[in-house]
Amino acid sequence: MSVGEASGGGRTPHPVCAAAELPPGRRRIVTIEGKSIGVFNVGGRYFALRNRCPHRGAPLCEGQVVDLVTAPAPYAWENERFGEIIRCPWHSWEFDLTTGRSVCHPDSIRTKSYPAGVAAPTEHDRAEAYEAAERGGVVVVWV
Amino acid sequence: MGARVRAIDTDAHHQLRGIADLKPYLSRHDWQRLEEFGMPRNSNLYQASGGFRGARADCFGAGDDVDPRSRIALFQEKLLDGCGVDFAILQGEYTPAVLALADLDFSAALCRATNDWTLAEWVGRDPRFRLALTVPIQDPVLAVREIERLGDHPAVVAVYAVCGSPRLYGQRHYDPVFAACVKHGLALALHFSNEGIGMNPAPTAGGHPSYYAEQYLVRPQFYQAHLSSFLFEGTFEKFPQLRVAFLESGFGWVPAFRWRADATWRSLRAQTPWVKRPPSEYMREHIRFATQPFEDPEPAGALTAVLDGMDAEQTLMFSSDFPHWDFDPPDAIVRRLPESLRQRVLVETALETYPKLPR
Ligand code: FES
Repeated sequence: MSVGEASGGGRTPHPVCAAAELPPGRRRIVTIEGKSIGVFNVGGRYFALRNRCPHRGAPLCEGQVVDLVTAPAPYAWENERFGEIIRCPWHSWEFDLTTGRSVCHPDSIRTKSYPAGVAAPTEHDRAEAYEAAERGGVVVVWV
Repeated sequence: MGARVRAIDTDAHHQLRGIADLKPYLSRHDWQRLEEFGMPRNSNLYQASGGFRGARADCFGAGDDVDPRSRIALFQEKLLDGCGVDFAILQGEYTPAVLALADLDFSAALCRATNDWTLAEWVGRDPRFRLALTVPIQDPVLAVREIERLGDHPAVVAVYAVCGSPRLYGQRHYDPVFAACVKHGLALALHFSNEGIGMNPAPTAGGHPSYYAEQYLVRPQFYQAHLSSFLFEGTFEKFPQLRVAFLESGFGWVPAFRWRADATWRSLRAQTPWVKRPPSEYMREHIRFATQPFEDPEPAGALTAVLDGMDAEQTLMFSSDFPHWDFDPPDAIVRRLPESLRQRVLVETALETYPKLPR
């Protein structure tokens, strides 16, 4: 398999499966370098997350894949970014599949100063994400 | 204001001397009805309260049968002059009973009459009084009508709501009332009463306790229920200028509630996605807690943790509850507070909460 081209950060490419085995809307959980990693096909784009929730260690990638639900105003639900969010199976924290960022405390909020009494977002708020792509008919994850 | 304001009391309770006080402010029809049936009384599930008949026993100098709440001279002597209170916001003692009436038009008539009477006979006789308007909040249409009628009066600084209500206040039923509050620069003043009365649910979430002490103790649960409603219905997304004063809610529970609210939001955010920020942030911006009844956390140091955990510098303001039995005087309260908080609690936070107070 020709998966050799390097990606960001000097990480090593690992073949996961044939692209046909991971159609849109599906996921595979694999072990790479001793780490459990979930690989997702979201509408033809591939994303990979460590299968470990930064909150209390749940197998994050076994959670429901859902839309981002927003509201321009109270009582006006809107679904966007279909299938790009994963909800942890244990306490329902939502993470952006494409970045690993928490929906509740994305970086834009993280940089704010938090006064006493409000828990400052921490490393807790990001699931470890890896680059994933299709190369020559094979799904590859860089770990 | 020339002289510096020393203290603002966000919660004092005045009362009519008798029904005749209202005669000039009622239609002939409503007066005849009041004369025949009397004022609705605050329903008391226990025939008990604290102090003497719910008030400070040392305030009955005019005789046991003269309600100290009805004596303006007593307020002047013991609260305004005696405690160095420069402004006292009145929440009428009669209000809960008026708001418990199922007959909405008679309720509205009594609201109008008591407001007019207070403005003439209390504010008109001592400019240090301010009024939290009594409005028939059970019916938002009538409530808005009263806010439109008197909301721009310079002494009207808030709209008074009681914790016992058929619906939680965040529900959209009440949105017109909040819109009117914002339009006229009025805070919403939420105070316990009417729990378990009339059409309202039981006086605790678990049912009817046997004793007044129990009901007194668990009052924070009503504020928590309304607060949770405000937060998750998006009241403060709809009304970014609305400020809500929690009077007699206690405040030791606030830090723990904030942790729990933020954790709840974090897990369940998608169900109410208009809640855009952690609930604790809305609380810090919109909810103000009055000091009375001032809790005495133990061990030493616990009070500091509570004050930090509720952002007291921004959220805590003084109240005395005069002349009720569990009254707190301002000097004793500020002695419990760090120097840096004293002016905030006595004056500044109230000025921010009630924009119509003179500064
Ligand atoms: S372990 Fe994932 S949300 Fe708690």
